[in-house]
Amino acid sequence: MKFKTMLTLFFVGTLLPALAQSESEVYMNFPITVKGYAGDKTDSASYSGQIARHLLHNSLKKLAGKGNGEPNEELKAKMMAYYAGTDEGREILDPKSKDGFAIKQTMIDEISKGKELKGKTYKGAVNSWPGYMTGPEVLEFLIDKASSANKGYDPITGYDYGQLISKFMMGAVFYNQAVDNYLDERLTADKNPNDKPYKEGRHYSGKEHVWDEAFGYFGAPAHAIDLEADQAYSIAKRKPDVMAAADHNSDGVVDLKTEMTYAHAYYAADADKGGKTSYLSDITGAFIDGRKLITAADSNALTDAQRAELMTIADTIKMKWEQVIAEATFKYAGSVYKDLQKLIAIVEANGDVSDAFRAYAKHWGELKGFSMALQTSGKDLGETAVKINRLIGFSPVHLDGNQVTGIDGNGNYMTASGSSMAEYMVHMVKLQNLLGDAFNLTKRKNDATSQLADLIESVGASKGAETD
Amino acid sequence: MPGDNIIVGISQEILSVFFDPLKRVYWVYLLSAAAVAFVWLKFRRNLSFFSAIRKIFSKASWWNTSARADYCVMAVNSALMSVISPKLLGQTAVAYLVFEWMHTLFAGRPQTLEYLPQWAMMAAFTVILFVLDDLARYVVHRMLHRVPVLWAFHKVHHSATALNPLTVFRMHPVEGVIFAIRGALVQGITIAVFVFFFGSKVQLLMVFGAGVFNWMFNAFLANLRHSHIQIGFWKPVERVFISPAQHQIHHSISEHHHDKNFGVALAIWDWVFNTHCHSNTQEKLVFGLSAESTEESHRLSLLYIQPFLEAFRTATSPIRRLREVRKTATQNSLP
Repeated sequence: MKFKTMLTLFFVGTLLPALAQSESEVYMNFPITVKGYAGDKTDSASYSGQIARHLLHNSLKKLAGKGNGEPNEELKAKMMAYYAGTDEGREILDPKSKDGFAIKQTMIDEISKGKELKGKTYKGAVNSWPGYMTGPEVLEFLIDKASSANKGYDPITGYDYGQLISKFMMGAVFYNQAVDNYLDERLTADKNPNDKPYKEGRHYSGKEHVWDEAFGYFGAPAHAIDLEADQAYSIAKRKPDVMAAADHNSDGVVDLKTEMTYAHAYYAADADKGGKTSYLSDITGAFIDGRKLITAADSNALTDAQRAELMTIADTIKMKWEQVIAEATFKYAGSVYKDLQKLIAIVEANGDVSDAFRAYAKHWGELKGFSMALQTSGKDLGETAVKINRLIGFSPVHLDGNQVTGIDGNGNYMTASGSSMAEYMVHMVKLQNLLGDAFNLTKRKNDATSQLADLIESVGASKGAETD
Repeated sequence: MPGDNIIVGISQEILSVFFDPLKRVYWVYLLSAAAVAFVWLKFRRNLSFFSAIRKIFSKASWWNTSARADYCVMAVNSALMSVISPKLLGQTAVAYLVFEWMHTLFAGRPQTLEYLPQWAMMAAFTVILFVLDDLARYVVHRMLHRVPVLWAFHKVHHSATALNPLTVFRMHPVEGVIFAIRGALVQGITIAVFVFFFGSKVQLLMVFGAGVFNWMFNAFLANLRHSHIQIGFWKPVERVFISPAQHQIHHSISEHHHDKNFGVALAIWDWVFNTHCHSNTQEKLVFGLSAESTEESHRLSLLYIQPFLEAFRTATSPIRRLREVRKTATQNSLP
């Protein structure tokens, strides 16, 4: 064999697999496998519709904090345009470019046209919120209330509408669509078959796009696996020191389609900071594994064995995604616990509670929103959901021990005397224990009882096998 | 095979106690106890090097009928307790319950005490946990002797006619349950109270994987309590810390030693509650329940079943006595 031939074989045999390996770390540059595709696309990965929805959600959250405390039809209409509208010309209100962190796009249409959130919202009953409403009804109700609240905050009920809308929407739209639709029924053999384009003329197959859409809803940058957890976290915060890490293609701007961190990917990164968990890389890695499996089928129908393997990967994603939401719920239960401790001390000292109560309302909104999101997977959480809802209630416990118990026929809140703030602290402890056990949590940030567990471990179990 | 798995599991359970720094018979503690015994015999009893070694490891002390029963009981109890323990009230349940209950009791949770220095919190927690744990052991141990129904079970431990470090495991499972609940209550309550008031400042001062006081006790004294090496302390010290010889008195069959030295590490409880007895290392002690102990007294079935029968007889004796009194009264009233 000639030297040149041997060299070529060596190159093909060793370097190419290595190159392929490095490419596989990014959720992009998947080859076009659709037979007969004649267009000019070279990457079959496509999830711009999901990114557009992330930007609608981000913008809606921004708008939720724009109210002045008076009914405001104009604000409400604008919020609804981002929730239910499909009109062109909607500006991206968040994230925007800032010094040291340049963003490529400024309009939703630059990402994808005609996208809305309402049609993708979980249609089931939302038992975690008063009023016997469906997912879209709850969000429209909250949007209405937010538009007439002062910067999204109602000091009477303790509701932070921006947080409630955002955290619930992440579950009701992104999580629900991904785990109850794309990673569930859309993976069956007869739905979106892999031997056909997703739609006529598209450059991706049915299963390729289904999988991409689920990945898009997760909200991770395409190169998430190459990022440290705190980098992925800081990208969402638009911190200039992670600009270089965010700008994967080094074109000097952050592409919102592939280089930004959104929604639950952001909370996965938040949990992963410190290294106790690896939700972000685990979930992104699983998405890449699944996409490789589908791509390798080369636009042939998936065999039963291939689909079974894909379902196993999907189950891993579902489980870890659920844990990410449960970890966030756990964290904010701990925040609420600390807020209550501070509030009680201020009340006892006859101090001004307004700032402390505002922080309590914010954290409670996050807690409630995440706990509601947890219940939108389409999976029946059974008694766990019942207990979560009972422990949190429909509103934060007010200083006088009142709590929202329902909504009357006019859409006004009804309150009644419930637990004291001290008892509500115990609810938070019980809630953390429940979440930790039910979802097998590891990070457990803001754990109100971590010290108990640590001390019990250092003292050692009393098994009673010794006597005197 | 499932049977093999069970045997492997039990074997691991038994062996694990020799590798756990939280257990009395951790191999390091056994080694340090042997070293202490050697120093005592060599320099206090003036034995030669080999005589001291021979005394410590004498076959007569480690392989007699009583010792063999100790080992069997230890094995059976390991299997039983591995099933029973998870179902018992544990420290975790107690600690969480008390921690939660204190929020209601104090209408919240104070913040100010968290500003106290950490070293003070660690020292206070370590000392108080040790003292309370020791006091609770004293109280339970005393009750095991003084309450007839409980004594029926604790007799299993006192039926040992020779003492070795593994005699600590010679106990009836009922007593094991009592001690487990005691530990759960004392440790769970203490941990919950400290964490409630002092939060993250609370930690246990630890040495080589165990609380500092438990480590000291286990490393130097615990394994010599149940042994044939009579080590006594200077009398003022024996009022504070129990010497191995003082605990051996607790196992003595002599009447004047009965119900003495219930304490575990601290002698102050015995001193305060009039159950204290100094050691006399010149005195030859006979261990057991009575001088009439036979090989039969160490039979496993007897050790496990007899206490139930005796406890039942003890518990029902007032009813039997009442029946006898009534019967006698009825007979006397007959014409």
